[in-house]
Amino acid sequence: MKNIMKILGLITAAVIFSFNVNAQCNAEALAQNCVPKLQDGFTFLKTFKVDGLGGAKSKVEYSYVFSKDTQYFLNICAASDPTDGIIVTMYDSKRQIVSTNFNNGKFYPGIVYPCNATGIYYITFTFQGSTNYCGGSVLGFKR
Amino acid sequence: MKKFIFILTATVLFACNSGKKSDEQAYLESLDTLELDQPVISEEVISDIIQQIPSPLEVSFLLKSAGSKYSVDMLNDPDNISNYNSSFEKALNLGIYGTDLGYANIYEQNQDALFYLNSITSLAEDLSIGQFFDFGTIKRLATNSDNLDSLLLITTQNFNNINEYLQDNQRQNLSVLILTGGWLEALHIVCEVVNNNPDNKELVEKIGEQKIILDNIKLLLGFYKNDPYIADLHKNILKLEEAFAEIEIIYTYAEPTFKEVNGMLVIEDNSTTTINITPENVVTIRNQVNEIRDKIIS
Repeated sequence: MKNIMKILGLITAAVIFSFNVNAQCNAEALAQNCVPKLQDGFTFLKTFKVDGLGGAKSKVEYSYVFSKDTQYFLNICAASDPTDGIIVTMYDSKRQIVSTNFNNGKFYPGIVYPCNATGIYYITFTFQGSTNYCGGSVLGFKR
Repeated sequence: MKKFIFILTATVLFACNSGKKSDEQAYLESLDTLELDQPVISEEVISDIIQQIPSPLEVSFLLKSAGSKYSVDMLNDPDNISNYNSSFEKALNLGIYGTDLGYANIYEQNQDALFYLNSITSLAEDLSIGQFFDFGTIKRLATNSDNLDSLLLITTQNFNNINEYLQDNQRQNLSVLILTGGWLEALHIVCEVVNNNPDNKELVEKIGEQKIILDNIKLLLGFYKNDPYIADLHKNILKLEEAFAEIEIIYTYAEPTFKEVNGMLVIEDNSTTTINITPENVVTIRNQVNEIRDKIIS
């Protein structure tokens, strides 16, 4: 019985810990902080919450229909350094890469994507060397 | 003690089991269940499809950049609000007025924008989502053309917040109707503009592109077709799908190239789409859109 209680105690602690880690990520606030950082000339479309649950979740994914002849701007905000190891990668509907903020070993806080092909695109956030696994992102557009 | 251990174990197991499936997996599973009488579609899947639908603002910006003049006659009359009694009608027309508001804002037609804002606020209150419209702030911003960016930001955020709230409160059906209304109105406006400028290739292609969004709208409405109101709308959307059937969207992928500009990564998209749409297709689509829209706004 003692062993069972010990195991249950450990599991409960782990669950509570995971909830706490989750609670520490205020992705909504980080996304809102990102709104004023939208590049000049771009019109706000939507925010994305990026909550990696303290590292428990390796990928956060959204999708959106992008239109040809439209430029899109996507920025990333994190609590600590500008991107805190958050990589955003955009894929087309066939999962072929069309854009990323991580190029030649460098993280960029924003990407400008001039879309040439209308379709459904996947916006995928992953983490590399992230401290908090937590961030926000804003999508804007201009003609 | 045994009871305590059981409850604790059940809680822990539930907590461990409540992790989300990958979107793709959930989506594929949902497609398999579409033909059942009572499709079991997770809220997560519905939310994923909803959030793909682009903002009608993109269409209004396109019209303005293409040199199309503002025309209030194409829009729904804000006074029609008295015709809308059911939640179904209110949600659809809230979406329609939302697109009209965005269109009027982009063309800086402040007085018209305020009329639409009044109608939107009233419909939103009737649907118990009035708290998301900051009427005072929007009205203040709408009276000064210098505030266009802030105005578009706030109105877009208000609609995004409404959608999020409805999805969080198991009222996705209303969210779907608002988005359907908004999308249909944007398509209607482009069709009307093209009717007067049939040679504008960019706008004609914009109509053809809507085939992609139509697929999503059809899918979303299909989830709720047990509701008789939505079933009727779904049938009409299937007719519209027939009007789009001949349109081809040919996608060609080419690897992108990257360059750094002012600290931002600028991508050169080398992929392309070709949209094959004939003037006859445009006429058929326009007629079908008008038929559906007339039923909704009257």
